[in-house]
Amino acid sequence: MSPDREAGFEAVDADILRELMNIAFGKAGADLADVLDMFVVLNVPDVQVIPAARLHDHIGAEIRSQPGISVVEQDFWGDFQGNAFLILPAVAGKNLLALLAPEEGTPATGSTDPYAAMDSLEGDTLMEMGNIIIGACVGKLAELLGTVVSYSPPSVSVDDDLGRAIRADLFEPGYSAVVLQTVFSFGNRDVKGFVFLVSSRESVQWLKAALHRFMAQYE
Amino acid sequence: MNERDQILDAISVGLVTLDPDLRVRSWNRWMAVHSGLPEEKVVGAPLFEFFPRLENRVFLRNCRSVLRFGNFAFFSQKLHHYLFPFKPPRSLGGQLEQMQQSCVMGPIRGADGAILSLFLVVQDVTELVVQERRLVEMNMRDGLTGVFNRRYLDHRLQVELERFRRYARPLSVVIVDIDHFKRVNDEYGHPCGDEVLRALAASLERSVRKSDVVARYGGEEFCLILPETARAGALTLAEKVRRCVEAQRHAWGGRELSLTISAGVAEAQAGAAGPAELLQRADQALYCAKSGGRNRVEAEPVRS
Repeated sequence: MSPDREAGFEAVDADILRELMNIAFGKAGADLADVLDMFVVLNVPDVQVIPAARLHDHIGAEIRSQPGISVVEQDFWGDFQGNAFLILPAVAGKNLLALLAPEEGTPATGSTDPYAAMDSLEGDTLMEMGNIIIGACVGKLAELLGTVVSYSPPSVSVDDDLGRAIRADLFEPGYSAVVLQTVFSFGNRDVKGFVFLVSSRESVQWLKAALHRFMAQYE
Repeated sequence: MNERDQILDAISVGLVTLDPDLRVRSWNRWMAVHSGLPEEKVVGAPLFEFFPRLENRVFLRNCRSVLRFGNFAFFSQKLHHYLFPFKPPRSLGGQLEQMQQSCVMGPIRGADGAILSLFLVVQDVTELVVQERRLVEMNMRDGLTGVFNRRYLDHRLQVELERFRRYARPLSVVIVDIDHFKRVNDEYGHPCGDEVLRALAASLERSVRKSDVVARYGGEEFCLILPETARAGALTLAEKVRRCVEAQRHAWGGRELSLTISAGVAEAQAGAAGPAELLQRADQALYCAKSGGRNRVEAEPVRS
């Protein structure tokens, strides 16, 4: 049995989702440029149905074991629910800090606080950026699917090992997740990363129905 | 007032709702109490009229994101400290100038799912921050003398050496040791020995700049990390401290005692191996000061 069928998610569903993501992420990219005041490229997204046991290996192969990675993780829930991961090389934190750090003179400088280690500033910057990019991807997709999602606060971890950065027990054994992924980059900065959206088991059937409702508009 | 409004006014977190053009729609009692701005004065006015410092890149970016994507924005205390400049709780006054806040912003949607406005939840986390700082202090400070402890010394020296390697700015360390400290303990007792250690620590802290580090290195040994200071400057400082300690008189149990110190100075060299090597070189210079008769400052010979 193919993984697609295991998840109750047929190849045709994946095709519709891919098409939908193309539209959603296109809008997300344009809006992100507006929100972040910089050019953001979201590459053509991909959809795959992957057994939970292979998810780590899959993500690991995609990011090709960078020497140190930063992972921003955020749960989203509603009709469409799951876990979102934004994965960047660990060095990206420093570049992003320069890019997104608060302006001088705002209450949000932090630089004079001896208790705020640079690491935590980088972590929080990553979290803020991850929150916006994940929000853009999930939000635009949810909008096209005609639903609304809520989010947990993001968490960030920096590690050499993907296995430690993403909890292994996050995915139920025997479950095949619908994984939506894209590569994003900031046009004029050397910051490039991945977004993975892993749908929960509960939302696969809803997602399937929502995709067909979406297509029915055009039939 | 309806049931929900009564609750919103009774809870001890700040709740604000804003129009898409960032005018205040609602302002709960907690916000009124802490800002000193009553609801009737704020509602309908642009938020930035009362809080101009919020009109910054980060805040606007997050507002746009929430209004555009319907996501939540999280303003952590670590990065932002606070959004609204409110006074900290009285019980914690003096420790922090402003109330520390953790804030969340999110969308408010109409029946059709369209985003109509955004909400902002403001939580006072000052007490947590103060407690966290106390824990950090406890972890960094020597319990007896109040100067930094060995753990912090090792960490800070590593950081300063990395800075030295990157920017090639001078860096020196001084190890200070009380001469014949055992005699103080034996003759006057350990409480006197403790007092002497505290007095020396205080003298050292008075002698150095804010950017220098004073740490307890071992029993009666202290270490100074002196960024931006070459060998000659470190020698001058160590000599100043030595003279100051020599001139001091300590009263204990109706008796008077005086102390001397010996000090060893080492400057970081290009290609420095690490903190242990630098400390070892300062230790060797200290050994020379001790073997040279004590109450002296020695530095390792200048390398050609």
